[in-house]
Amino acid sequence: MRVNPYPMPDLLAALNQAELEAQQDMMEISTGRSVNEPSDNPVAAGLLVENNDEATFNAGYLQNLTTINGQFSAADSALSSVETALQRAITLGVQGATGTLSDSDRTAIAEELQGIQSQIISLANTSYQGNYLFAGTATGAPPYVVNSSDPSGVTYNGNNGVNQVSIGNGYQIEINQPGSQLFSASGNSVFLALNSLIQAVQSDGDIADAVSNLSSASSYLAAQRVFYGNAMDQVQAQTTYLNAAKTQIAQQQNSLAGVDLATAATNLSSAQADTQATLAAISEFSQMNLFDYLH
Amino acid sequence: MSGLYGTLSIALSALATSQQALETTSNNVANANTPGYSREVPVLEPGAPLLFGSLSLPTGVVLDKIESLRDPILEIQLNQETQQNSYQNAQLAQLQQIQTGFSSATSGIGADITNFFNSLQQLSPDPTNLALRQAVLTAAGNMATDFNTAANNLEVQRSNLDQTVVEDVGEINTLTAQIANVSQQIGVLQNQDESTGPLVDQQTSLIRQLSGLIDVQVISTGQGGIELTTSNGTPLVSGIQSFALSTEVGSDGTEHVMSGTQDITDSLTGGSLAGTIQIRDQEIPGMLSQLDQLAAGLSNALNAANQEGYDLNGNAGGNLFSVPPAGGTGAAAAMQVAITDPSLIAASSDGTPGSNGNLANLSAVANQNVANGETPIDFYASLVSQVGSTTSNTSAEADASSQILQQLNDQRGSVSGVSLDEEAANMVQYQTAYQASARVVSTIDALLLDAVNIGLDGTEQ
Repeated sequence: MRVNPYPMPDLLAALNQAELEAQQDMMEISTGRSVNEPSDNPVAAGLLVENNDEATFNAGYLQNLTTINGQFSAADSALSSVETALQRAITLGVQGATGTLSDSDRTAIAEELQGIQSQIISLANTSYQGNYLFAGTATGAPPYVVNSSDPSGVTYNGNNGVNQVSIGNGYQIEINQPGSQLFSASGNSVFLALNSLIQAVQSDGDIADAVSNLSSASSYLAAQRVFYGNAMDQVQAQTTYLNAAKTQIAQQQNSLAGVDLATAATNLSSAQADTQATLAAISEFSQMNLFDYLH
Repeated sequence: MSGLYGTLSIALSALATSQQALETTSNNVANANTPGYSREVPVLEPGAPLLFGSLSLPTGVVLDKIESLRDPILEIQLNQETQQNSYQNAQLAQLQQIQTGFSSATSGIGADITNFFNSLQQLSPDPTNLALRQAVLTAAGNMATDFNTAANNLEVQRSNLDQTVVEDVGEINTLTAQIANVSQQIGVLQNQDESTGPLVDQQTSLIRQLSGLIDVQVISTGQGGIELTTSNGTPLVSGIQSFALSTEVGSDGTEHVMSGTQDITDSLTGGSLAGTIQIRDQEIPGMLSQLDQLAAGLSNALNAANQEGYDLNGNAGGNLFSVPPAGGTGAAAAMQVAITDPSLIAASSDGTPGSNGNLANLSAVANQNVANGETPIDFYASLVSQVGSTTSNTSAEADASSQILQQLNDQRGSVSGVSLDEEAANMVQYQTAYQASARVVSTIDALLLDAVNIGLDGTEQ
């Protein structure tokens, strides 16, 4: 069978192929990615879009958890101060209930109780990063204003709205308790009880009864405060979970698109060796023919 | 002729023939690297004998013809494989360009969609925050801009391909005219019973170039005549006449390939012109349509969700994005954010600025089936995969066809390629024959001298 006398195009094609492979290996090493174009791995290319979405949302949820934890912490801290103030008010009330006080003693107690009332109003109007924490969704203005013609001594200008925030896929939590549920709940209003106590002390009325009401309102508030403690626990648990998920998502991305540098370096050297071998073969390729031997 | 003169004439015929054979060898050697050259072999025949009664006298050797060695079946295969290879490569080049717009998972439309929905998430713990609201608008703007860019790039590519179609048709017409011209020259030489080898090589090479452009079928009509048509029968060359194709802008605004009044654009199946048309008329419009679907689906769903809530001023929400064109075509190119004031994002569900209740509705669009029954990110991921696999498949086919072409060219080389070793050996052979015949001539010359001098005793010179 007659041989193709002009094999140079084949040799050049082989050289081109070897060089192409070397180039691709170099690209992988320099970018650290095995998928640089969708055609490199069409399935992986699609999955990488999904993976990026997961990674971004994961980071977003973690960010939100930090933000709302700040809100919970500020709210809980305000409520802690409210509880302390209420305990002081109850102590004062008990003092005032003893029948042996003078008018001036009772006046002093009433004044201190008024001080506590102002303090609690101020705490109920706590704001965090420009938003009032206990106003429901009417977060733009202080929820409680002094109203001396109201039996509770205040008017609630907030609403009952509750905001929810997503902290995971399909996982939402409520992020606030309206003041109307904490401080001025119907039948359990801290403000009403406190104002009534003040009035009882001032008028020497049924102080013991007022103290007892304040005590139940205070317990009620403490029970509502648990919302924030629970919320912070959830934040912590979800943060741990999301951090673990973050690692998994990153691993998945690496397995889809990452390059094992050791393997890639080996591939590159072998591709370069191929190129060298092909070049050597081409240069060795005999350019001699019979004409060189005829004289 | 008999006698010494007869012998002389036989020797002379050998000298002439050897010379012609050497000429052929020399021509082969000169054309050893000429692309498309088919090596020639001199076909030697014994001369027709002279008949004198019952005597049959030899007349030496005659160069019957100079034959070009080529395999017509191989030529057909090469043409077909060239058509396939050009078809695939034309598409591959375009697809590789298209896919660069979808290469990164962390930038581009998919990432923009993700970032937009993430910006809504970031707004939800603090819905009145103007900086966070602005971030939502910025993310929305990036998304719309990338849709615009992707659509525009595809349109530009399509219009460039329009230009390519016109250029390709021009080239096809040039080649068919040249083929007809060469065919005419071949016909003339054949009528004169002369060797047509180089011209046929030229014709073959032109047809091969034509195969790179269009799916040409060659029918030999005998006596060197050929008919070239496309695979669906459109005439290109008939005998010595070529039929030019033309281009005309069709009702869809693109250049159509015409044979006379017949539109043959959709009937081409091979060559780079068909590859270009495939991308221009199928792939690119397909991609545009998908981008339009996604843009329209997102815009409509987000607009509807925004309208369910209240903005920072307590007013009912309006459109976040421009309303897509009816029917959806052009939605990607036209997508714009409809608001510039961040307070108009309708985050509230109860009319108070501090409520984030409607953000849940806006965020929920990420999990809605907004296009082709898929969520926005799923749809985009499928699109990326699709572009990738089309490109990868085309690349594999182009590679496979290149391998086949290489093998066919190797085979052609083994039939028609010039081997310098062979030509050197032939040269030695013809040289020796020439030398031998020259020796015969000098021998006859001496004998003739003897014959002339018969009867002379050496005293008369």
